[in-house]
Amino acid sequence: MQVVMQEQTAAPQGNLVTIEGLCKSFGSAVVLQDVNLTVKKGEAVVIVGSSGSGKSTCLRCINRLEEPTAGRIIVGGQEATGRGVDLNALRRRIGMVFQSINLYPHKTALGNVTLALRKVRGMSKHEADAAGRRHLELVGLADKADSYPSQLSGGQQQRVGIARAMALEPQVMLFDEPTSALDPELVGEVLNVMMRTKDLGMTMIVVTHEMQFAREVANQVVFMDAGRILTRGSPEEILVAPEHPRIRDFLARTNK
Amino acid sequence: MDQIIHYFFDFSLMKTYWPEILWGFLVTVEMSILTVAIGIPLGLAIAIVRLYRIVPLNALIVLYIDFFRSIPQLVLIVLTYFAVPYFGLVLEPFAATVLALVLVLSSFAEEIFWACINSVSRGQWEAGRSTGLGFNQTLFQVVLPQAIRMSIPPLTNRAIAISKGTTLGSVVAVPELLNVTSSIQSNVANPTALTVGAVLFLLLFLPFVRFTRWLERVYSHPS
Repeated sequence: MQVVMQEQTAAPQGNLVTIEGLCKSFGSAVVLQDVNLTVKKGEAVVIVGSSGSGKSTCLRCINRLEEPTAGRIIVGGQEATGRGVDLNALRRRIGMVFQSINLYPHKTALGNVTLALRKVRGMSKHEADAAGRRHLELVGLADKADSYPSQLSGGQQQRVGIARAMALEPQVMLFDEPTSALDPELVGEVLNVMMRTKDLGMTMIVVTHEMQFAREVANQVVFMDAGRILTRGSPEEILVAPEHPRIRDFLARTNK
Repeated sequence: MDQIIHYFFDFSLMKTYWPEILWGFLVTVEMSILTVAIGIPLGLAIAIVRLYRIVPLNALIVLYIDFFRSIPQLVLIVLTYFAVPYFGLVLEPFAATVLALVLVLSSFAEEIFWACINSVSRGQWEAGRSTGLGFNQTLFQVVLPQAIRMSIPPLTNRAIAISKGTTLGSVVAVPELLNVTSSIQSNVANPTALTVGAVLFLLLFLPFVRFTRWLERVYSHPS
């Protein structure tokens, strides 16, 4: 049996996100058990595993959309867990992209991107619009600034979602199955934007079922199973020549 | 045929009463506008307070809403006018009627707003909060604009239904349109006045009803 590799938190330097002993239960259902993970600055960590393995919950604990039951999370050298954490300030430093996209339907693409710039960062409308357009350009949607979400394709909507999160210039971006709700033909454009995000040096934690993307982009692949990290390593170790039968099983099912 | 014309359309009988009818019409318009202008914002305010989930306060809110949604408007108007003075608050018939209708409309409006706020997906809250917006900012910038948009058609319907309750003010002698026209009817022993009243009510409410139709069409096909 493969023993889970346990990084200790001895070297916080260069570690942008540190998760220690993270546990989460919903009532009597245990969703996460003693999850430990470190993410270095500029690194892309891809979390894979079957549905219900706790991947999304783990991600959502980092920006406290879920309240951890136990454990400690440090983001950018600052405590993210425990009492007295300014959640709004924490979330300002953490961008999130959702499976269900969650664009504001009553606002244009630009309005979606600029809302937090104005209300959270306190930018003037002029500054926010300029920054917003810059980030829409980054995701290739400069010409869609004035379109409403209902006028955009799913892939375009998700790219606006990425621009909305990136515009706040977060320290780390969380991607929660960003392409799972999209038609297969629209997945590529979103993954391309995510690769560009990585190239810009953004630290990323990505929950996805896109194994090709994981192989190409991940510095570290984490395999979760039943609320635990079963194993982790380079994409080659985990996705190309996995030793663990559970992973071989999983890959056989996902690759078909 | 002549009979019908004589009974319902003998406008010559109205000659001396037009100013009175117009006055009654204005009272009805005034009461309707006041009811809507106070009742709907009050309902929204209550729905917002309820969102903060302060347990004892929410129990009171639910009690308030359920009470005023259950009690017939006529009973409430009579109660407000005749019973409230025993608690030291004497209200003019006009004020008593408006107050009663405001209480009822605010309760229905609250339920409509509450349902619409809750039907905005959790993902919208999460999207707002994940970008560092606070609860209030997310509520006012993200959730309420969507909820209010959804609530407009049912709200307009409800506002019309309750505004028509202004006619109930006649039981406490508010000189509104129904009261005026029905007393003219008994003075001249001819119901033409009621015909005039009916036409004026239609004139007041039909545009609103058409307006809700238009809204429903617009909102069922979002751009």
